[in-house]
Amino acid sequence: MTEERGQTEAAMEATWAPARGFLGWFTEVDHKRIGLRYIVTALCFFTLGGIEAAIMRLQLAGPERHVVGPDFYNQLFTVHGSTMMFLFAVPVMEGIAIYLVPLMVGTRNVAFPKLNAFGYFIYLFGGLFLYTMFFCGAGPDAGWFAYTPLSGPQFSPGKRIDTWSQMITYTELSALVVSVEITVTAFKQRAPGMSLNRVPLFVWSMVVTSFMIMFAMPAVMVDSGYLALDRLVATHFFNRPEGGDPIFYQHLFWFFGHPEVYIIFIPALGFISSIVTAFTKRKVFGYSVMVASLVFTGFMGFGLWVHHMFATGLPQLGQSFFTAASMMISIPTGVQIFCWIGTIWHGRLTIRTPMLYVLAFFFDFLIGGLTGVMLASVPINWQVHDTYFVVAHFHYVLIAGAVFPLFGALHFWFPKWTGRMYGEGLSRVAFWLVFIGFNLVFFPMHILGMIGMPRRVYTYQPQLGWGGLNQLATLGVLPLALGILLMFVNFALSRRRGAPAGPNPWDADTLEWSVSSPPPPYNYLHVPTVAGGHALWDAAPDQPVVVGMRTDHREVLVTKAVDAEPSHREELPSPSIWPFLVALTTGITLCGAIFYAWWFTMGTVLTAFALIGWFWPKREPLPEAS
Amino acid sequence: MRVLDVSDLPVGTADSRALLWWGNLGMMAIEGTMFALLLATYLYLRMVNLDWPPASVPMPDLLLPTINLVMLVLSCGVMLMADRAALRGNVTLVRIGFAVCVLVGIAFLVLRAMAMSMIGFKWSSHAYGSVIWTSVGMHTFHMIAATGEALLLLIYSLVRKVEKKQLLDFRCTAVYWYFVTISWLPFYVIVWLLPHLSRKS
Repeated sequence: MTEERGQTEAAMEATWAPARGFLGWFTEVDHKRIGLRYIVTALCFFTLGGIEAAIMRLQLAGPERHVVGPDFYNQLFTVHGSTMMFLFAVPVMEGIAIYLVPLMVGTRNVAFPKLNAFGYFIYLFGGLFLYTMFFCGAGPDAGWFAYTPLSGPQFSPGKRIDTWSQMITYTELSALVVSVEITVTAFKQRAPGMSLNRVPLFVWSMVVTSFMIMFAMPAVMVDSGYLALDRLVATHFFNRPEGGDPIFYQHLFWFFGHPEVYIIFIPALGFISSIVTAFTKRKVFGYSVMVASLVFTGFMGFGLWVHHMFATGLPQLGQSFFTAASMMISIPTGVQIFCWIGTIWHGRLTIRTPMLYVLAFFFDFLIGGLTGVMLASVPINWQVHDTYFVVAHFHYVLIAGAVFPLFGALHFWFPKWTGRMYGEGLSRVAFWLVFIGFNLVFFPMHILGMIGMPRRVYTYQPQLGWGGLNQLATLGVLPLALGILLMFVNFALSRRRGAPAGPNPWDADTLEWSVSSPPPPYNYLHVPTVAGGHALWDAAPDQPVVVGMRTDHREVLVTKAVDAEPSHREELPSPSIWPFLVALTTGITLCGAIFYAWWFTMGTVLTAFALIGWFWPKREPLPEAS
Repeated sequence: MRVLDVSDLPVGTADSRALLWWGNLGMMAIEGTMFALLLATYLYLRMVNLDWPPASVPMPDLLLPTINLVMLVLSCGVMLMADRAALRGNVTLVRIGFAVCVLVGIAFLVLRAMAMSMIGFKWSSHAYGSVIWTSVGMHTFHMIAATGEALLLLIYSLVRKVEKKQLLDFRCTAVYWYFVTISWLPFYVIVWLLPHLSRKS
């Protein structure tokens, strides 16, 4: 038996061998490696965005300071916002999903591994493009949503806004391909027995997120596409004198932009469900209600966009409708929070760092949620429109709502990714620094907003009386930055020196904890089967495994969408250079187009050739009978 | 050890259970959203403008676009035949179907170019021109892609032996062909018919 197992293992090692060497970095198709690349790259951009934020806080620490000038300040807040939304928040969630979803559903790779590699490269190129232009002094400077007419050809000549609009296309392409992969993997590659009512909540959250990406992200690509056309070939989509409409830019942007908030937030809900389940050792309370809430949030997320535009002069009916919808969306989130409280109530709670971040989420996200309900009301919205109250609100929602759970998730899955435990003591110090620092930076902004400080001003006069609170907010940067730095240091040290983690250090319930840490390239020697909603806790002592799949091909088991009955086997591709080349030609097309419009045509032809190379089937030797 | 033996299950399939089939649906959902947003753009701009299309826009000539539309819709029947043939594994019929559709695609693109050269305004003339040229341009781009894809598969099927698992590629291309046809229908109405039917001024 063991000898047979050893032979199978050796065969699988050979078949699923990762790409090696320098060239191997460009040809890799393993979802775990690509997922980790996403996570590390996104954290690098997070650091850059954080440094930009720190410079802004230094500038605002007191009245009439001159750390940076107004022009550079405009670039700073635009690049900060764009980085955090497009280069950090969405990609980092996707990276974790790319790593975990195939493992959690019990398969060997994502449905489209080459597409997955393409997605990473195009995202990387988008980020590099933005920062190259920024360091050359052509960083976008019209805010992360680049409203027209300010961002139009008349008021923003030069290449700055073109940089922004093309960066959107790069990163949204990446998000879109990931959304398709995740959806197909979650619906078609689940282990036998994992019917839809047994899918882990994290996977559900990523399915809902992926659907939202598919229907929301095209809006921002179309919108930034129109903006680029207006700027580069003189169309008039947003030019009022020729029949266009700048307000339409806002509609399209927020039709993407509001779902975007949930695209960032819903994966975080999935992290919390995983963490709460593992640290209470209790089956999650109200599973069906939780899934229904996620789906409901996904749909409702598309009915809120106009509440970002209350100050543009809308019909009364529109205002009332979107106020009601904005208040209604707090219901499914509230339901989930009560379900987690129910789970904690009935379970045996162990407090470890991931759980600390979840508790911090409960505390601070509640504040963000409450200010959200306030902002949904039109009179308050008008009063605090474009002030620091809004800045405080969305940082509470995005940092407490998404980044805290993300930090929790990084600690929670760190043992799985690296095979070693992080240092618990150091991580707790880091947690408290982050928690205190965050509240110090952002809580005073509520008050600053209410006493009238507008967003996006590079400085203010001393007699306005905003100095003290601003100084407090800037002081908070110290613990916050130190906490994040400590977290990174902890990860860097533990990666080599941490205690060995073993397959399941938390005694958690989902399938990824059944394989070694880090998992082998093929994930599962035998594809597992599942007997309940908490795969490992519900498994029978002799839970069957799947046999009869080829070990000399990269085969995955495809199952039926609803009940996960085995349907057929499919072969997945081996490492390939083409995804990199297609990403490269696409990148050249997008970058070249802003300097010379014909680059678009030339680049498209280049890309078409690269795509032919991608799809042209390899000549295979005749398969031998297994 | 209890096991679930799957060695009897087929490897690959050309029907709607295949992974690529689902991926293709995902791509069409994304592109369908994009086309829907283009339509929304037209309707929104029509709503905020008092004269639409602008008075300087000549009445479009319906002959070429209508020939094009009928040709494209009919080609879907041929594609459907090739699609079914691929499911049965009849490669000869697939080749014939794809050859016909590639010819239709090329003819369509030529007529499209002629129709657009006669349209009488540019994308930079006014917002109406912007949305019309962008809509037609996006669809033309998709037609080029669909025709190119069909051509490439046709060439492949002539120079290499078509394996069972590649039949799925033909079927996905066929589904994409229906998609590119169906998504044009509302644009045919707004680009060519609406100026004749209703003119705000």
